[in-house]
Amino acid sequence: MANVINGTSTGSGGLIQTGDDSGVLNIQTNETTAITVDASQNVGIGTTSPDALLTVNTIASFGAGAAATPSIAAKGDLNTGVFFPAADTLAASTGGSERMRIDSSGNFQFNSGYGSVATAFGCRAWVNFNGTGVVAIRASGNVSSITDNGTGQYTVNYTTAMPDTNYSVVGATNSDSRTVSIGNLVASNSAMRTTNSGGALEDQTLIAIAVFR
Amino acid sequence: MNQRIIYPTDDGVAIIVPADCGLTIEELAAKDVPQGKPYKIVDVSDIPTDRTFRNAWEFKA
Repeated sequence: MANVINGTSTGSGGLIQTGDDSGVLNIQTNETTAITVDASQNVGIGTTSPDALLTVNTIASFGAGAAATPSIAAKGDLNTGVFFPAADTLAASTGGSERMRIDSSGNFQFNSGYGSVATAFGCRAWVNFNGTGVVAIRASGNVSSITDNGTGQYTVNYTTAMPDTNYSVVGATNSDSRTVSIGNLVASNSAMRTTNSGGALEDQTLIAIAVFR
Repeated sequence: MNQRIIYPTDDGVAIIVPADCGLTIEELAAKDVPQGKPYKIVDVSDIPTDRTFRNAWEFKA
């Protein structure tokens, strides 16, 4: 492939330009194109058809960086971005401070007013329903259904079961002096009851349940 | 979903209220009705609105 690239210079700088009319510059090693600059000035590494200003076809690796100097940062805001504080660990910072992290065990950690970056424990299921009249679910997440077992007696069925029975259920109702209590917990569902101030089973118009694990 | 699944219990009848979870009523029945229990899929309008005697309701196949 002769006479493809012409070299020249202007002043103290340098210039490489294509030697043909295609408007494309290819840089090769070992007879394989490593870098392509197309006619729109898009740069491709590992591809001859970049579809953005910079396209890397396989893996791009970066140094570890730090919260104040993240490895991948926004132009003009170099203390905000993504960095890699340890092996198999991903973190993000804003304003030079770490705000979130996914550690090597897959735990998601964030600050968000907590004071430091710490593991966040997710709400695994939730439901808001009306237990009076024809029982109806207003909204829910990871709940497939509610079983109405009788006055003040319900079962919350999970779309995706809990990993075990050692989860925590939090319940509330909108009526004063009423109680939401949990019964038998199994991985696929939780039994619960709503009672009045005298301890008798009673339906409630708003029952809210959240499950944490 | 304007349907409910009902099945008998030792104390009367249980009514499954579907959530908006992407499962069909048949899939919900297979998942949330206790194994071996007979069940019926009914229209929500078939469920009484007056729960005064809820614990006296009975399942009729």
